[in-house]
Amino acid sequence: MKKLVALVVVMSFMLVAGFAGTAEAYDVGLAISTLDNPFFVDLADGAEEAAEELGVNLTVVDAGDDAATQMSSVEDLVIQGMDLIAINPVDGDAIVPAIEEADMMGIPIITVDRGAATDVAVHIASDNVEGGRMAAEYMAEMLNNQGRVIELEGIPGTSAARERGEGFNEVMDEIEGIEIIARQPADFNRAQGMSVMEDLLEAHENIDAVFAHNDEMALGAIEAIDAAGLSDEIMVVGFDAVADALTAIEEGTLAATIAQQPKEMGRLAVEMAVQLLDGEEVDEFVPVPLELITQ
Amino acid sequence: MENAESKMNFKYILQFLGKFKAGIGLLALVIVMSFLSDRFLSLPNMLNIFRQVSIMGIMAVGMTMVILSQGIDLSVGSLLALSGAVTAGFMAGDGNMVLAILAGLAVGTGLGLFNGLMISKANLPDFIVTLAMMSIARGLVLVYTGGRPISGFDPAFRIIGGGRVGMVPIPVIIFAVILVIGYLVLNKTTFGRYIYAVGGNKQAARLAGINTDSIKIKVYAISGFLAAVSGIILTSRLNSAQPTAGVAYELDVIAMVVLGGTSLTGGKGSVGGTLIGALIIGVLNNSLNLLGVASFYQEVAKGLVILVAVLLDSLQHRD
Amino acid sequence: MANKLLEMKNISKSFPGVQALSEVDFNIDKGEVHALVGENGAGKSTLMKVLTGIHPDYEKGQIFYKGEEVRFKSPAEAQAAGLAIIHQELELIPELTVAENVFLGREPGRGWINKRKLKANTKKIFEEMGIEININKKIKNLTIGKQQMVEIAKAISQDAEIIAMDEPTSSLSQQEVKILFDLIQDLKNDGIGIIYISHHLEEIFEICDRVTVLRDGNKIKEQLVSETDRDEIVRQMVGRDVEDRFPEFDAKIGEPIFEVKNLSVPDLITDVSFQVKKGEIFGLAGLMGAGRSEIARAIYGLYKNRAGDIYLEGKKLDINSPGDAIDNGIYYLTENRKDEGLIPELSVGANMSLSILEQLTFVRGVISKRKEKSLVKDFISKLDVRTPGPWQLIKNLSGGNQQKVILGRVLSTDPKVIIMDEPTRGIDVGAKHEIYQLMEELAADGVTIIFISSELPEILNLTSRVGVIYNGRLQGIIDGSDVTQESIMNLATGGS
Repeated sequence: MKKLVALVVVMSFMLVAGFAGTAEAYDVGLAISTLDNPFFVDLADGAEEAAEELGVNLTVVDAGDDAATQMSSVEDLVIQGMDLIAINPVDGDAIVPAIEEADMMGIPIITVDRGAATDVAVHIASDNVEGGRMAAEYMAEMLNNQGRVIELEGIPGTSAARERGEGFNEVMDEIEGIEIIARQPADFNRAQGMSVMEDLLEAHENIDAVFAHNDEMALGAIEAIDAAGLSDEIMVVGFDAVADALTAIEEGTLAATIAQQPKEMGRLAVEMAVQLLDGEEVDEFVPVPLELITQ
Repeated sequence: MENAESKMNFKYILQFLGKFKAGIGLLALVIVMSFLSDRFLSLPNMLNIFRQVSIMGIMAVGMTMVILSQGIDLSVGSLLALSGAVTAGFMAGDGNMVLAILAGLAVGTGLGLFNGLMISKANLPDFIVTLAMMSIARGLVLVYTGGRPISGFDPAFRIIGGGRVGMVPIPVIIFAVILVIGYLVLNKTTFGRYIYAVGGNKQAARLAGINTDSIKIKVYAISGFLAAVSGIILTSRLNSAQPTAGVAYELDVIAMVVLGGTSLTGGKGSVGGTLIGALIIGVLNNSLNLLGVASFYQEVAKGLVILVAVLLDSLQHRD
Repeated sequence: MANKLLEMKNISKSFPGVQALSEVDFNIDKGEVHALVGENGAGKSTLMKVLTGIHPDYEKGQIFYKGEEVRFKSPAEAQAAGLAIIHQELELIPELTVAENVFLGREPGRGWINKRKLKANTKKIFEEMGIEININKKIKNLTIGKQQMVEIAKAISQDAEIIAMDEPTSSLSQQEVKILFDLIQDLKNDGIGIIYISHHLEEIFEICDRVTVLRDGNKIKEQLVSETDRDEIVRQMVGRDVEDRFPEFDAKIGEPIFEVKNLSVPDLITDVSFQVKKGEIFGLAGLMGAGRSEIARAIYGLYKNRAGDIYLEGKKLDINSPGDAIDNGIYYLTENRKDEGLIPELSVGANMSLSILEQLTFVRGVISKRKEKSLVKDFISKLDVRTPGPWQLIKNLSGGNQQKVILGRVLSTDPKVIIMDEPTRGIDVGAKHEIYQLMEELAADGVTIIFISSELPEILNLTSRVGVIYNGRLQGIIDGSDVTQESIMNLATGGS
């Protein structure tokens, strides 16, 4: 028994050491979906850096991609009396009850990267529309504003598919020399991207370029194009800058991809939190700029 | 003779202390925490802790029976997810809520029963059967949901996980009721006595005329049923059924039971202990969150507490 | 004297409460087969364990091996000196091959195993033994007889000069026995001394030179086999003065009530039939492993593949589980109290009420503490269980009191037939006496008892008739004045 008490005491000291608080600073909680994924680790790092600069007490909790754990840890943050909680939801529906509880205690919520199925003070996410535009502009430039283009769409109805397509088509519609000859959903999936592309290669000739709503589909399309021996004729642009895509860019099989900036996202979350708590006006949606990656 | 008697007395004192070891540990944890965080002892936080442990706590009552009968059930996390998903699937759109809940309970109980049959009638090891079921049920969840969460229920369904009676959250009330029933079953019924007998010495129980197969089957069915209850509460609380719900819950649930002093070798333990074990895990999770300890260290801390508890247990039993 | 390989002098060894060996002499010459016989518990295995270093803490006596005094501290030490023992339960690794087993722990090669040499060496040994065997086969795929040969090969490979064999023929076929005996003859010719422990007396007359009889830890006689006969050895084995420690009673034996017809369980018991009368104590005797407990367990519904019929009061019973047996008024008190009787973490009371719990309820399934308490209190006083209270965990009681609690469990079901398997094993003299008394009271009340015991005096004094089991068969039933230790031992060792 003594030993257990001793352990608890020792552990408690460890905790106290990490519990350095300042008196008047804002207390902000950040509930991350999972720290097993480098994307979200960067997001947390960005938030921590900003918190240090702005003198905010930031508490980061990790849900390990479990919606129930995230709910519990958000509840704990509420009890702890946070001034504001930023949430990167595991699941947009499952987080709603926790957000409602925070609401009842008058704690504003910011969602980061993924949205929630309820109203929040601010939503911070990559500007997918802008990303679509960037892809279109790059592609148009490389094609000299002339060419036949195919668009591989993501899962119909998802915000990423909708917004990326919207930005892409907005730009392409303005360019007379470019024709979108086909739009097909391939569900964000690599295998699906390959088989859809195979069909499209049968159906159409003289294809100049393919834009896929994510890298997985783009990589699938590249397989199909390669198999048809058309690698030199068709350029492919993806989205997300996943590791395989970056390799493909290095090898020259993928022309470009659009990278999100998780660090920037985390930084913005803390900056917006401070602005909100200072009583400033903040837009309901804060887009995070994207980055075009080419060889 | 006198010496022997005083030695006996000493042994009883040790036994007495050993019985409440988990409680003393919990008390120490609570005292230390209340000094470290002024919000810890607040009523809202206490209710918060109870609500957070209720879902795993309910499963831990079933797990207590399983472990008392010298078994182990690794499938509870997956059964929770499957039962939740089935309930959600039946309800989505405008399915009947009661029917949906019954369907979820039936799935959990049925697969629990299947575990029991495999273990007793086919004489396969508990560990392997429930490990397989863990994988099967998880796979079925993914098949059933297509890997996506199911949501969009009758608003009334949210009451189960999110409602309160007075200040007390409904999941806490359900947990309390199940704890009391679990206690009564284990202490007042022949079935409960047989669970202890089978777990304490299966062969002796058999020779004493007990149908040990039937006890095992029932125990696993109960464990599956309670996993389903937890799954439905969780689905209600999250207002959606998550295909990844309950991953690795079985380990926390087993930890609760073991922290509560129930012996993994069977035949010894109680649901009262399991309540304490559940609260230790709950308080630990809550307080580490309140103190803002990074999540990775939380895992380390939880592991250490379990290790120390089991170590103390084994030291006490060494003569 | 130059021939003396081993000389054990005045060996005494005691365990708490038991004098296992008192001043026993035993010796063996080069090229001699020396038999060691005696009843179960006579001290044979203890003597072997003293010799081979398993019990290095014997209180008295000296061991001279090849003329030098030794005291082996461990089996490994004895083995290194050239003493090999082949236990009844073979100690081979089933998943390894013959060659790997023979040289287990002494593989040729440094660090890695030189397989070629390993196989060559093994082959050579078997060639010398004149045994044909595939040395690449895994042990689990060999017959017991062949496995025994591997054990012997292992002993030879260690340059053993003395090989002790404990019941080597117990699982061998006739043919395999012949091969073994030929091999023993060869070993003998090579000057190896063999200690031969067996219950099968006829074997001793076939291959042994000398025989030493032990009884109750004492050496009764050492003699040349050629100068004695089977009857004399049996007499020496059992011929103790039986103390008058059994209560007198008049049996009021009634009509036949319980009958077993053609009871068989493959590989365990064959075609056993007997009748027992109401209020009779019927003994089942035989050597260890003969199949006595197996008969009891078959009656109790513990074997799925049992054949044959069981009748109680003229009615044929359908018993498929212990529960069925208990419901029909038959209860089996196990010989293995610790593994099959006690539920150590439960209280005295809960252990006692276990078989009758369904009747101690107020509604179905809910225990009435009041009824349970009154039953338990009743039996605690009736059986004089010494416990601080019914709440005490049974594991904290002495062996005798534990046994009384289990007897309470048996009696609570009000059985018509009780099969008691070694009910007095491991308990003190006082409690033994109480159990004898209880048995007679039960019999007087018309309960039928089938009494299995390895202690012949118990059987002789408590039973009216004795069935003797040999090799899974009922070798014969002895009645009335014909029941003597000699007649039982004769049947138990395969006589007729």
